[in-house]
Order: sequence, then structure tokens, then C-alpha cells
Amino acid sequence: MGRNETAHASAEDVGGETEEFDPIGTLTLIAIYFAILVVSWVYIYYIEFLGRDLVIVG
Amino acid sequence: MSEAIEGDRTFADKFPEEARVVRAALLGSFLALTLGAVFGIIQTLHRTGVFRGLISSTDYYTSLTAHGVFLALSFTTFFLVGLFTWAVVRSLDRPVIDIRITWTWYGLMAAGMTMTGISILAGFVNELDMSADVLFTFYAPLQAHPMFYAGLAVFIVGSWIAGADYFRTWLAWKRENPDERIPLQTFMVLTTMAMWYIASSAVAASVLIFLLPWSLGLIDQVNPTLTRTLFWFFGHPVVYFWLMPAYLLWYTVLPKIAGGRLFSDPLARVVFVLFLLLSTPVGIHHQYLDPGIAEGFKFISMTNTMFLLLPSLLTAFTVVASVEYGARQRGGTGLLGWLTDLPWRDPAFTGMMLAGLMFAAGGFSGMVNAGMNINYMIHNTIWVPGHFHLTVGTAVALTFMAATYWLWPQITNKPIYSRAIGLVQVVVWFVGMALMSNAMHAQGILGVPRRTAEPEYSGFDYPTMFGGFEELNIQIAIGGTLLFVSTVLFIGNLVLTMGNPKISGLAEELPPALSGPDDAPRVLDNLRLWVGIAVTLVVLAYALPLAAIINRGGLLGPGVGTFPVWLTPVLDALANGAAAVVGGVVDASASLAEVVG
Amino acid sequence: MHIHAYEKLWLAASVLLILFLLGSVTYGAVGPGVAMVSDSEPAIDAGALDEDDRFSEPRVEQVGENEYAAYVVARQFGFQPDPIVVPANSTVTFYVTSADVIHGFEVAGTNANTMVVPGEVSEITVETDGPAEYGIVCNEYCGAAHHAMEGKLEVVSQSAYEERASGGDGE
Repeated sequence: MGRNETAHASAEDVGGETEEFDPIGTLTLIAIYFAILVVSWVYIYYIEFLGRDLVIVG
Repeated sequence: MSEAIEGDRTFADKFPEEARVVRAALLGSFLALTLGAVFGIIQTLHRTGVFRGLISSTDYYTSLTAHGVFLALSFTTFFLVGLFTWAVVRSLDRPVIDIRITWTWYGLMAAGMTMTGISILAGFVNELDMSADVLFTFYAPLQAHPMFYAGLAVFIVGSWIAGADYFRTWLAWKRENPDERIPLQTFMVLTTMAMWYIASSAVAASVLIFLLPWSLGLIDQVNPTLTRTLFWFFGHPVVYFWLMPAYLLWYTVLPKIAGGRLFSDPLARVVFVLFLLLSTPVGIHHQYLDPGIAEGFKFISMTNTMFLLLPSLLTAFTVVASVEYGARQRGGTGLLGWLTDLPWRDPAFTGMMLAGLMFAAGGFSGMVNAGMNINYMIHNTIWVPGHFHLTVGTAVALTFMAATYWLWPQITNKPIYSRAIGLVQVVVWFVGMALMSNAMHAQGILGVPRRTAEPEYSGFDYPTMFGGFEELNIQIAIGGTLLFVSTVLFIGNLVLTMGNPKISGLAEELPPALSGPDDAPRVLDNLRLWVGIAVTLVVLAYALPLAAIINRGGLLGPGVGTFPVWLTPVLDALANGAAAVVGGVVDASASLAEVVG
Repeated sequence: MHIHAYEKLWLAASVLLILFLLGSVTYGAVGPGVAMVSDSEPAIDAGALDEDDRFSEPRVEQVGENEYAAYVVARQFGFQPDPIVVPANSTVTFYVTSADVIHGFEVAGTNANTMVVPGEVSEITVETDGPAEYGIVCNEYCGAAHHAMEGKLEVVSQSAYEERASGGDGE
């Protein structure tokens, strides 16, 4: 057993795997999150906030 | 001893002395959690009008101060120092330099928090002329008993020594391993503590130079905008101080529990460096609606704040990708089908995942909070507590509780009493918080203020949206009750765990990252450089605003009085007087303040 | 340093999101003209409000054609004047200060919201629409009876406003 995780992380230990793994599921989930964020922001800023009474103009 | 057997040793076996400190820190943390939860349920029921029989509306603010200080400072920080001690010692695979120093900072932090805690809780006892009903933010000129400030100072000094302990242990390791990269967990601890030194310097200055001498009567008045600005100099980075240990767990422990490994070690380092750089020069975004601060400073603060989204957005990707890798190692397939191949029966896994999901929702309300002018809509409404109950109240708190199910056996050699109860507990927390936080956000949009014992007013009704004020109150009460139940389950499970016998075979190793530290540019480990840039950014962001504030109001403020909350005569006069006799009350408190001063 | 292509994509999307948020706020400032409360007013002696022209007698007064100024004092535990009466379809500038501790001044359910700090004057300008009644709440904890601190903003028709003003109400 190595002294710490640095020692574990030798090139042959992890080599190659990085290229093989494409986190397509993650990309999908995060794209959905992105869409939710944009839609929610547009609603809350442009409709809810700017549509309220007594907007501060000075 | 053979290598195989050594690999089976838990942290408690390898480092029994350090494990004791970690246990003590976690137990301190859970004591604070218990107290905080008791005040939490009292407040939920009081505020929503479901049950107001336990405390008076005046004592609500004593409870609220206790809830804030015990949870936001005590629960989080004690867990953090326990976790960090474990992380540094584990990842460096060496003991701390001197365990007596480690116990010294623990003792100081415990003593400081006890002092502050007593000064707060004394507010419930009318016979004692001691109170600290100034809430977590202690805005002057409301004034707490001196012991409140003194305790905070001692607590912070203790945390500084803890940071020094980690840095010295790392330096000793570095001498022994001159050419090695800083192990990831230690890197995370060091960057977080560097941020903490920068951030807490301001609140320490505020307490030691202004608030403590003022509460002792050594100076007559303080500048409310200045002390408030110094608080928020600390008050925003402190939220990342809470969050960083949760990130450490998401990056280094969660992938392992998911059956995989961290996706990218270099990106994890980049994220922590970004937090070190950007956490502090943003505090003015809590003061968007303050008079006496120019709009330009607010805009700069907003720009920094928005870019602070970046490390969290990157984290979302890296952590989910690490979990996806784990799921695919476990045989998961499909675009999203792998989600079913994760260890959802493990409370540590499910708890952390639900915490992360809540954090994603909190990210949205955080964007609204960060938007300078949209702040008019939600500033100081209950939207804001709705937001931070998602972040610190779930992303952090639920991660800590979930991680405890994994970590506690490592530091005690005792298996968790019931993982099934643990699973129920984390799900109940999630459901409770979903209800409570959602309703708080909705009430905030109606204009319902935060920090009030009775949010219903005699002169007007709130507009009716999202089901309306009353219905949302019910949701808050149900949600808050579920959160209390969840805390009871957590604490109960832990107490029963303590009764379990010690066994062997609980040791868990943390695997290295897919893309390891050798992939990370060396410059990332140059802590001096990053601290230097961080300090420069803070100076750029704060020098001019602080100079302008002092220039406007003077170091000690432009003719502002002193309003001690810790003299019962004043308190009673204020409570009874209400609006009708405002003038008289002001005179009375001014003269009383003179007597005190 | 190796960064996965998807992660680069997400990084780019994140930066775009941040620019979109900053752009929205900037649009709000230059389009509808939302302005922040700032350091426009000089500091003031909170202990000597009774000697101040504007705050010794909290009131609403006409300062221009269809422009009104509301001088408001917040103190434990109420607002003066109460109610604050302003005419509909006019421009109203609130000057709010505190006689004691930090308070909040929030016209519930609207965008009129500011901190009220002793020693400082918060200046916010709004344009009123038709007649309406709003609640004003103190949204910063200010002491034992904080929850009792409320006020009222009445937006009344121009004629009703003039009637009230000439009626010697003073508010």
C-alpha cells in the first residue's frame, strides 16, 4: 500500500481510461439543468421582477 | 505487518490520537445540531402561527440568534475541523505534528462557543442581565453582552490555530516528500483555510477593534455601515467555508461510494483555487440595498459574485461525471439508465446525492440573490432564508449527516446502528426541506419578511399568489417538522451506534482520480501565488469602499446611539413602549446607555 | 492538463450563462432604468434628526410638477409619517433614515425596498400608477418588538391628495 493517494495515481494505474469514458449521461443531465436555469431566470427577472409595482428608477 | 493487513486498518486503527480529536469535533458539531434543531422547530411553529405557546414573540429573537449561531457557526465549523483533521492526516498518511496543539485549538473553539452560547441562552432568563439577541449578523448599533463578542473572538482564534496545525503538518510532510504533489484532500483543506484566514480577519477586526470595546463601554459608538461591511467581508466567504468540506466529500468520498473514482483531480484543484480567489471580494452583494455605498462598488461585487458561480457549475459536472463513471463500472448503461445502477440504499450515497440536487436548486435562487437590481424584489424577505436552507441547510448539513454514516465507522470502528433508519432520515430531510424551502421562496416573492416572530400584519394583507400566505405557512410548518424528525432520527441513530461493539473490517480506501494529479499543472500547488492573488483581489474590491465608508461616517460613525439588548430594563421599555411612545423610549435608552457607558 | 471535451463544452455554457445574467441586470439598469440605492445622500447625525429640515417633521411634499418627496423616519418600532400618502401617476422620491438602529423599509409585494441605516439616508424614486394601498414592513430585525413595526403607503387620486393636503392633514 502506498503512502498516500499521490503514490497510487501512477500513469499505468489510470492510463488510457480517461479517453475511454465519455460522461454522456452527465452532459444530458447538465443540459437539462441549464435549460431549467435559463427559463426560470427569464421568468423571474423579466416577468416577475420587472412586472412589479413601484420599480425604483432613481 | 503485511501490506494487506495494513490496508484493512481504519483511520481509528492507524491514528487513534487523531481519531479522538475527530470524534470530539464531530460530537461538538452534533450537539450544536441538536440545539439548533430544537430552536428550529420552535421557530417554525411560532412564525407560521401554528403554535405560539412555548415562547413569547420577544424571545423568538433569542431563539433565532441561537438557531443561527449554533447551526451556521458551531455545527458547521466543528464538523469542518473534525473532517479536515481526518482528511489531512489520512491523505498525508502521517500524524499531526503535536497532538497537544490539536487539543488546544479544539479547547479554544469549544470555550469560545460556550461563552457565546451562554450569552445567547441567558436571553431566555429574565433574572439575568445578559442577552445577545442580535442574531447571527450582530448588526450595530444593536449591542450584545460583551461575552457574546469575546466568545466569538476566542472561537475564531481557535479556528486559526487549527488552520496552522494543518499547514504545519503539511510542511512536515513536504520535507519528508519533497517532490510529491500535495494530496488532493490536503490541497482542499489548505486552500479552504487560506480563504478562512483572509475572510475571518475582517470580522475579527470588527469584533476586537469596535464591537467588543464598545460593548465594554470603552468607546461610545461605532459606524454601523463599517461594522456591517466588515461582517459581510467575512459573511459571504463563510458560506464557502461551510460548503468546502461538503465539496471535499463530494469530490473524494462520494465517487468511491458510487463505485467509481473522481473524474478529474486537476479540475478539483482548479475549483478550490477559484473559491480561494473569488469567495471574499463579493461580500458587498449582501449590501446591494445599503445607502452609503456607491452603485459602482455594488456592480463590481456582482460581477465577482457571478463568476463565483463558475467553480460550482464545474463541480456539478465533475461530481456527476464521477458518479456516472461509478454507475457504469457497476454495469449501468444507456443515456440515463445508469442512474438506476447506483447504491441508492446506502444512506451516505443517497444523502449526498439529494444534498447535491438541493444545491442545484439553491444555485438558482442564489443567482437571483446575486443579481444586483433584482435584489429589490427579495432582499430581506423570507426568500433569502429559503435560499440558504437549500445551501447550508441541505447541501452542507445533509452532506455532513450522510457522510457521517460513512465516516463514523472509520473513526470509531463501530458500524452504524441502522442504515435503514439512515436512509429514511436523509429522505425525510430532503422532503421536509423541499416543502419548507419552496414555500419560503414563494412567500418571499409575496414580500413576507425574514427574521420576524409574527409575519402577519394588522394593516394589510399579502397579495395572493402561489397558494397564498396562509397555505404557504402550513407548508413551512410541515416541512420544518419533518426536518426536526429527521434530526431526531440522525442523532438517535448515532447514539445507538455508540452502543455498538467495535469490530474489524470496516476500513475503506479512497481510490485515486481517473485523471490524476500528474495531469495538473504544478502551478496549481503554488499556494503562495494563489494567496497573493486572493489578497490582491480583496484589496481591489474593498479598499475603496471601506475608505469611502470611513470617509463618510468616520471610524466611529456619524452620531449614532447605542442600543444594548442585554439590559432587561431597556428591553422591557422597548417592548412595552412600541411605536406609541417612541420619543420617550429613545430618550430612556440613550440615558441608560450613558449610565452603562 | 487534460480536460474532457464535454467539460469544455459545459465550461463555455457556464460562462455564457454568467454573461447572460450580468446582461440581464445591465438591461434592467439601462432599459427600464432600475437604479440602486447608493451614496447619493450625505451622511446625517442620527441623534439630531429633530434639528433636521427634512426629518424633524416627517412628511410628503410637492417638489416639482408632479414630483413629490417623502421624508420618512424609521425608529423602534414604527414609521413616520404613517400612513404615507402620495398621489397616483406621479414621481415620488423617498428619503428614509433611522433614528436609532438598522431597519428595513419594504413596500410589501413591490420593488420598493431598502435598508435604513442610522447616519445614512436611503434615497429611492418610484413612479406610482393608479390608486392603491400597500403595507410597509420593517424587514430587518430591529429589537424586541420588530414584528410590530409596520406602516402604510396610500397611493390616492390626484384630487383626493389635494383634498387631504388642503385639509390641513399635513400628510
